[in-house]
Amino acid sequence: MQLPPFEYIRPESLAEGLQALAEHGDKIAIMSGGSDLLINMKFRLDGPEYLLSLNGLPELQLIEELDDGSLRIGAGCKLTELANNALIKERYPALQAAIFSVGSRHVRNMGTIGGNICLDTRCWYTNQSETWRDTRDGCFKTDSEQCHVIKTTTKCHALSSTDSGPMLIALDASVVLASQAGERVVPVREFYQDDGLDHTVLEPGEVLVAVIVPPPRGRAVFAKLAQREGLDFAAGSFAAAVSGSNEKLDSVCLVMGSVAPEPRVMEQAGKILMDAGLTDESIDAAAGAARLSLDEVTNLFTPPGYKKRLIRALVKDALTELRDQAVRG
Amino acid sequence: MAKQLITLIVNGDSYEVAAAPHQTLLEVMRDILNMTGTKRGCTAGSCGVCTVNGEQGEAILSCLALAVEWDGRPVTTIEGVEEGDKLHPVQQAFLEYGAVQCGFCTPGLVMSAKALLDVNTDPTEADINEAMAGAICRCTGHIKVKKAIREAAKALREREVNDGAS
Repeated sequence: MQLPPFEYIRPESLAEGLQALAEHGDKIAIMSGGSDLLINMKFRLDGPEYLLSLNGLPELQLIEELDDGSLRIGAGCKLTELANNALIKERYPALQAAIFSVGSRHVRNMGTIGGNICLDTRCWYTNQSETWRDTRDGCFKTDSEQCHVIKTTTKCHALSSTDSGPMLIALDASVVLASQAGERVVPVREFYQDDGLDHTVLEPGEVLVAVIVPPPRGRAVFAKLAQREGLDFAAGSFAAAVSGSNEKLDSVCLVMGSVAPEPRVMEQAGKILMDAGLTDESIDAAAGAARLSLDEVTNLFTPPGYKKRLIRALVKDALTELRDQAVRG
Repeated sequence: MAKQLITLIVNGDSYEVAAAPHQTLLEVMRDILNMTGTKRGCTAGSCGVCTVNGEQGEAILSCLALAVEWDGRPVTTIEGVEEGDKLHPVQQAFLEYGAVQCGFCTPGLVMSAKALLDVNTDPTEADINEAMAGAICRCTGHIKVKKAIREAAKALREREVNDGAS
C-alpha cells in the first residue's frame, strides 16, 4: 500500500506548527511518530491535505521534574525511551509496563507517548484495506450513518486501544493542550469522550504537547491481554491505582481499556474496594461489577461475550497482584 | 506534493534523491536507489520485513518512515552489515543454525537482531523475544531464529573478550 499524496509541513518550532494548525483547520493531520496515522492513511481512512510532522521537534522531547514532584513528559518522547527511563521505572513501574506493552519494539522505537494517548479509535470493520471495506456498505467512520457492530446504535463504537491512556487516568495524570490561544491543562480522565468519531476533547488547531504525572501516591498495576502479546492492540486492558492498606484503602481508581471509544473508569467496582478493602471476596465482587458495567461491547477481534469474560479475569488477576504487592512490601 | 531534494545516508554512502513527501523510506530505497535488500511486506507495520537500523542503531520500520524525515540521518540496511568480505556474526549464525528457509523475512530478522545485539551482547530469552516480536517469519519457525541469535551473541561476546585481550 502506498500513502496518498499530501502537502508536508515540518515546523522549526512548536509556534510555527500551531500556526499551520490554525491556518489549515480540519484539512491538516498531526503526525508524531507516524506508526498509527500513516497506516490509517495507507488504508485510506485518513486523507489529510496537509500533514504536520512534529517528529523530532526538540521542544516536545523534554522529560522534567516539576517543583511539586510531578513528572512532565513531552508528547514527542519515543515509547522506547520512556520504557527505558530510570525515573519512570522506579516511580511509576505500572506506567512503564503500560508503555512497554504498546506494539512491538519496532513500533515503540517510532511511536511517541503523545501519539499513543491520542491513538485513533479502531474497529474490525474499518481498520481494513479499502478493498476489504468496499465489500460492504460504509459506516459512521467512512460515509454512512450506520454501525456494523451494533445495528441499533446512532453513534460510532470504534474502540479506544491506547495502553497509556487507562494507566494515566488511574495515576491521575493531566495532559497539556496547546493552540495559538495558549495552553490548557486537562485531566486525562476528562480528555477522552465516548464517541468513536471524536474520541478526545482536542479542538481544531490544538495539539497535545505534554503529559504531567503527579508524584506516586500508592501502588499501581497494569494488565493487558492481546492475541499476540508482542505486537497486537489490546483485546482488553486494565489499569488500577490505589493508596492505603489492603484493609482500608484511601483511594481507588480502576480503568478498563479497549472496551469502549474511551478508557472506561469503573466507579461501581471502585466503590466496592473502597468499602471493603482488597480481599478475596471484594476482588471477586469488583471483577463481577466490572464485567456487568460493560453493556454494549463491540467484540473487536473476539467472539461475542468473550470480552466481558476477559475483563472479569483480567481485573481479578490484576487486583490480586495489587493486593500481594502490599504484602511483599 | 512537490518533490524535495533530500540526502539519504544509507550504509555510509550519501545519495541525493528527489522524493515526494508521501514516499516512504522503503519505497525510495527500493524503487529509486534500487537497494532491494530491504523487503516490502505488509507495508502497515505488522510484519517487520522492512526493518532497517536508524541513527542509534535502533530497529525501525522503513514502511512507516517518510523518506523526507530521514534527510541527512544515517540508516543501515541489510546491504551494509557485512564486515568487509565476511558476514556479520548475526548473518553467519543464521546460516549455520538454519534460521533461513525461504529467506524473505531474513533481512528484517537480521536487522532486528542486530539492533538488539549492538547494545546487548548477553540478551536474556525475554530480551530476544521483545526485540524480535515485531519481525515475523512464516516458515522457519522462530525456534531456530532464536537459537541463531543466542549463538551470534556468543560469537560477539567472544570477540569482545579477544578484542580486550589484544
